[in-house]
Amino acid sequence: MTTLFVLDVPENTAVAEVAGRDPAVTVDHVGPYFRIVSDSHIVIDRRATGCRHAVWYSSVAGLAQSRITQWDKDAMRIEPR
Amino acid sequence: MSELQHTVKGVDHVAYPTFDPAGTVKFYRDVLGFPVVHSICAAGWGPEKHPDFIHFFFDIGNDDRLAFFYYFGLEPFDGGPQGDSYSRFAEDVPIFFIRSRHLAIHVDSEDDLMEYRRRLDGSAWPVEMQIQHETIESIYTHDPNGYMIEITRALRPVTPQEDLDANLTIDALVDVVTGPDPSMDALLTRKAELITERAAAWQQQQESKEVATR
Repeated sequence: MTTLFVLDVPENTAVAEVAGRDPAVTVDHVGPYFRIVSDSHIVIDRRATGCRHAVWYSSVAGLAQSRITQWDKDAMRIEPR
Repeated sequence: MSELQHTVKGVDHVAYPTFDPAGTVKFYRDVLGFPVVHSICAAGWGPEKHPDFIHFFFDIGNDDRLAFFYYFGLEPFDGGPQGDSYSRFAEDVPIFFIRSRHLAIHVDSEDDLMEYRRRLDGSAWPVEMQIQHETIESIYTHDPNGYMIEITRALRPVTPQEDLDANLTIDALVDVVTGPDPSMDALLTRKAELITERAAAWQQQQESKEVATR
């Protein structure tokens, strides 16, 4: 299970929203964090989020049994470990 | 999280050495408009070869002060082509490392930030960068001594969940750097464990606090 945590603050809401557009992805909350989960990989398009680079590159709060395989100005890709 | 009482009241003063007191006064007093609020003429009080020094202070708001030491007759030290009056670095020291040491001064609004931008841009020390970070916006330049100075404003107030997140990050960092192989990957994995352990309980605590204050 690929699991990504993102803190629920105004700058990050688009990250969770864009991730959740994939029907294979579910988004819920653990405390003040978005928990973004998929059976396979999670891909988030940076431009679709509208995030500035400083927000984008500090948006990941935690990874459970998962690893980042791409995190550049175009996209973030998280895969099961 | 620490349970120690937090009774400090901000920065009394931060002090740097200068070899260019005239430039320093011009930059801080005449360009930025930071008042001179204190100075000490230490005649014969300094070290053997440089007994006479001046210690002078600028008000940087909030009763906090930025101070400089000027030692008569003291020449700048070697050490490399990069850096500032305090530390000279060899050519191969990366600039991100050198710039990680800087002083950031707070302003309350965009108008105030832009006013300091105008003052700097009209001087010999124009703004080198203006950047919106996660939740702050900053301008940067270097003073006549080569010290990097930042003026910054908050884009919004810091929320309680960001304080929680900061504490989880630091607890994860301490765990990871005391382990065998520190990395961002290890930190984010450890942090996910801490989020799972603590975040839901924190949220419940916040909600009961809110109910109690209603």
